[in-house]
Amino acid sequence: MKFQFKYSIAVIAIAFALFSCTDKNDEVITGEGNLKLEFDNVYNANNLAFDTPYTNSNGEVVKINKLKYIVSNIVLTKVDGTTFTVPKSQSYFIVDESTTASTLLNLPNIPAANYTKVSFGIGVDQAQFNLGATGQGDFLALAQTAGMMWSWSAGYKFLAFEGTFTSSTVTTPTSFMVHTGQTGTDYNYTTVTLNLPTNALVRTTITPQVHIMADISKVLDGTNKVSLTASNGMGMGAMIMSGANLPLITANLSNMFSVEHVHND
Amino acid sequence: MKTNYLLLLILPLLWSCSNDQDDTYQNIPLEFKVPSNFPPLAYDLVNNPPTQKGFELGKKLFYEGRLASDGIVSCGFCHIQEDAFTHHGHSLSHGVNDAIGTRNTPSIQNLGFQTSFMYDGATTHLDLQPIIPFTSPIEMNGDFSKAIAMMKSDAEYQKLFRLAFTDGQINSENMLKALGQFMLMVTSSNSRFDKYRRNETGGTLTQQELDGYAVFNQKCATCHATDLFTDNSFRNNGLPVNPLINDVGRFRVTQLAQDLHKFKVPSLRNVEKTAPYMHDGRFLTLEGVLEHYNSGVGNSTNLDPILNINGRLGIALTPTEKTQLIAFLKTLTDTQYLTDKRFSEY
Repeated sequence: MKFQFKYSIAVIAIAFALFSCTDKNDEVITGEGNLKLEFDNVYNANNLAFDTPYTNSNGEVVKINKLKYIVSNIVLTKVDGTTFTVPKSQSYFIVDESTTASTLLNLPNIPAANYTKVSFGIGVDQAQFNLGATGQGDFLALAQTAGMMWSWSAGYKFLAFEGTFTSSTVTTPTSFMVHTGQTGTDYNYTTVTLNLPTNALVRTTITPQVHIMADISKVLDGTNKVSLTASNGMGMGAMIMSGANLPLITANLSNMFSVEHVHND
Repeated sequence: MKTNYLLLLILPLLWSCSNDQDDTYQNIPLEFKVPSNFPPLAYDLVNNPPTQKGFELGKKLFYEGRLASDGIVSCGFCHIQEDAFTHHGHSLSHGVNDAIGTRNTPSIQNLGFQTSFMYDGATTHLDLQPIIPFTSPIEMNGDFSKAIAMMKSDAEYQKLFRLAFTDGQINSENMLKALGQFMLMVTSSNSRFDKYRRNETGGTLTQQELDGYAVFNQKCATCHATDLFTDNSFRNNGLPVNPLINDVGRFRVTQLAQDLHKFKVPSLRNVEKTAPYMHDGRFLTLEGVLEHYNSGVGNSTNLDPILNINGRLGIALTPTEKTQLIAFLKTLTDTQYLTDKRFSEY
């Protein structure tokens, strides 16, 4: 009896093992689902808040009152290494810290699969510019309404980061405006690739949400240090919208994102 | 009786047929022919192939005052066909609310051959160029969302967008593509000079004009190259800087010291009709322009080296040479283009 009991347990265990094995191996993943990318803007270890003083490593006290950036060209990598590219024309978004809805990008029609990586661009890529208006749909209108059109150069602001600052030499709060975009010498578009800590399981019934942290402190205070004080040349505010600082800031942008976690609900 | 019934049956069919034709995409391709004396086309026709209906929509948009914030200032307001699509008599052009710009209206002709646009080359694609004047607060001060809403509520535009584009969408992409098609097709290639170059009837130049052409080739054609009369480069031609404007030119786009006060070399086609001259319209006559090159060129770090040879600033021109040059430049006037009904507002 004892033997029989043990035997039964073994059989049941094997059956379970087999059953769960078959379950894993034979799960046919078909159809399409949705995936959401959440862009959670933070400043170092704090949730980003407007008009709140943050001190950077240049000794500047920065208060932010505008933060917007263009996210584009989203590509998802599956467990087997193959990729799914979100159709280019449906892959341009403006993340705006002042509008909560804009920080959650909903990507429909994603093939059901287990995804290990996400990559995206910050800005509008050169290939798109070379196509002229082709493929832009109504993004120009959207960008203009959001104040993200760089109209004097017929392009886009890839990043708009604005506020006020003070420092040891700039004692009264002085405005700063950081705008990146295409210039005559630099494209200033960058791509970011992030590994997911757990796979995003896109199913017809599961919409994974990838929680991405964007550490805004790194815009000026990342690998490259960009001084607002030094850019306040005329005493009229630090206007960083062209020149050699833009590629430095663009490099900082490429390193400011990380994935905090993935929800598979 | 039987035939009558049949007719009644057929009638609605006929009606719906013609209705469909009126309302759906019409692919009537417009052939873009590169004149044999022109350099190769820079514009990529594959991305935005011009069609009759796209062109018609583009022309309507070009002359559409309702795109501007004041409902008046259209593209055609400053780009007047009989003046080779420039703003005749205005050194600096004015936009909505009597705002005055800082530059002279450039001509619209043969734009598909250009690799960059605006005096400073701020944009490199013809389809995107209209964004600049359309949204500039001192030009049309336009808003894409408002313009699109206006067109969406206008039956004529609803129809034209359906005829011009496969997706029929009224959006900023199709609006810019239509404008691109119109501007692309505005070609000037039938001046007396062109006919001379192609050995066509009517292509006879007088001795004075031929002498002018010889002077031109010797003294001007380095920058005003090819039969389009530009090498598409940015250069400083020694104009003293107007301190009230201090237009930094190409520097605005590149922020490179070597680009300070450089401007795009303009085409000289129809130059007889495009006065006043230079990026700020400072010279009212061609004689004034030639005198600048002869005696007015100022030295600076960025002065084009070609205008400072052996310590002589500018280009020496005798009175005879100047007369010959002006006679030659007038052979570049293309009456067909200046009066072509396809391009005109009415």
